[in-house]
Amino acid sequence: MDKNQSQDFLEAALKRQTQAPPADDAAVERVLKRLSGPLPRQKMPLWRLPGVLLDWQFAPAWPRMAALACCAALGFVIGIAGIDRRFDASVVPFAIASHSDIGSIVFEPEALTGARP
Amino acid sequence: MDDSDEALMARIARGDERAFRALASRHLPVMLGLARRILGNAADAEDVAQEAMLRVWTHAPRWQPLALFRTWLTRVVVNLCLDRKRRAPWVALEAAGEIVDPALGASEKAERDERERLVAAAIAELPARQRAAIVLTYGDGMSNAQVAEILDTSVSAVETLLVRGKQNLRRALSS
Repeated sequence: MDKNQSQDFLEAALKRQTQAPPADDAAVERVLKRLSGPLPRQKMPLWRLPGVLLDWQFAPAWPRMAALACCAALGFVIGIAGIDRRFDASVVPFAIASHSDIGSIVFEPEALTGARP
Repeated sequence: MDDSDEALMARIARGDERAFRALASRHLPVMLGLARRILGNAADAEDVAQEAMLRVWTHAPRWQPLALFRTWLTRVVVNLCLDRKRRAPWVALEAAGEIVDPALGASEKAERDERERLVAAAIAELPARQRAAIVLTYGDGMSNAQVAEILDTSVSAVETLLVRGKQNLRRALSS
């Protein structure tokens, strides 16, 4: 086989070996079946992001509005009633004074040794 | 209703699964064949085709019709094939059938079969990009410009791939 014949043979063989095979219907069906399940989430383009963020529905949902109003009322009552106040504060007045003096006690020199904190 | 690829992609971008299945049914046979010719392995080709179609679904909202859908999908399939780490063994295309030449004798037929087998084995040994360029050029009859677009390279680079691929094939066949 000379050079030209070899060239021709190679070209022809390449075309034969790389030609598209007939459609494999079974393989196509298998892949389509695999694709029939739940599909993954699509990737949204960034230039659509502002639109997505602005696309809110502001129609009020009345049960949620009622829940929000209840929460606000409860917070108001708790704030007025002062439920966070210590129970012993109202019955032991000197405890309040000691609480207010706590800073000076801490920073005073120790009586015996004179050491400062 | 407009049933073109681009129209279907627009519907897929809005989350239309029926449009996606229609597009997949239309392009899967060709993409499976292409993947099988590049990978030389039917099972891997199915995986690649499935992955390519899933990318069509997930990337549809971002897809812009700058090129033909078919060209874009071919590029996705070729890139997925090239990304495959494992090089699958080449499987000769027996399914393509063989035209028996009645004029050939038994010994000539055996000799021709042997040469074809050698060519198939030599193609299997080519680097992936050279193999892809040869499959797209000789198998699908694409121009160098089309192959360059799919492989995301220049026309001269495609020419180089083809020349080197054929040099490698000649070297393998002569040895």
